[in-house]
Amino acid sequence: MAAELLAGIEGSVLATALRGSTWVYPLVNAGHIIGIALLFGAIVPVDLRLIGVWREVPLALFLRVLVPVAAAGLAVAAVFGLLLFAANAKDYVASGFFLAKMAMLALGIANALTFHALRRRHVPDDPGRDFSWQRLIGATSLAVWLAVIVLGRLIGYF
Amino acid sequence: MNRRDFLMRAGFTIVAGLWLAGPARAHHGWGWATDEEFELTGQITAVKLGNPHGEMTLDVKGDEWVVEIGQPWRNERAGLTHEVLAKGTMVTAHGHRSAKASERVMKAERLVIAGREHNLYPDRAS
Repeated sequence: MAAELLAGIEGSVLATALRGSTWVYPLVNAGHIIGIALLFGAIVPVDLRLIGVWREVPLALFLRVLVPVAAAGLAVAAVFGLLLFAANAKDYVASGFFLAKMAMLALGIANALTFHALRRRHVPDDPGRDFSWQRLIGATSLAVWLAVIVLGRLIGYF
Repeated sequence: MNRRDFLMRAGFTIVAGLWLAGPARAHHGWGWATDEEFELTGQITAVKLGNPHGEMTLDVKGDEWVVEIGQPWRNERAGLTHEVLAKGTMVTAHGHRSAKASERVMKAERLVIAGREHNLYPDRAS
């Protein structure tokens, strides 16, 4: 069932065209990297602020500017990543590094959603305050997104 | 040394280092392979053409070898199609094998099939 699904994805018109293309595939690759650059470049300052750097700058400023950029980066990386996946679905599913990357990706998204849920619950009572759980969330985010990038790179070399 | 001078010097050193290291590395773009010429003859058991690069599996006297070939445009230029690389075809691959002795993997620069030459890198002497 899963094997049929993967074969179907790989055999689709879109995946076949991508595999045979001269320019589109490397450009899709570039799109994936641009998405990652936006996500990581935006989330690192947020994470550092959560851990305790730049305490004099209000957290709300970081969140207002950088969270939408990171979320857009994640969306861009995911769309182009799905295209790359479709082109060689069976190989990716057979790769331990790919599966580990997907697990880390899920953890990164869950961590971000937890952060926003906790903020919605706690901040209205006491806006402007820094909470102790912020450190753990920031450190987790930093570690998880680093792991996602490193694992993603390793897929191609093993 | 002030901070700006330090950054300028550090930048210059890195650029100069890369420039000097360039010619030594540029000859073959595959860091994982050895520099020695390598040749392998076997029968095709599986072929995948397409991005990011093609790959075929050869049966070499009972051992399974993976031979990496080019991107779609490079394979097409060399005349490597699914018809030419049909299962059971005998192929001699010239190129470079993996630096890991335990790994039966090579990167092909040139294939010879039925006496016909299929050169993936016609601009290289190999």
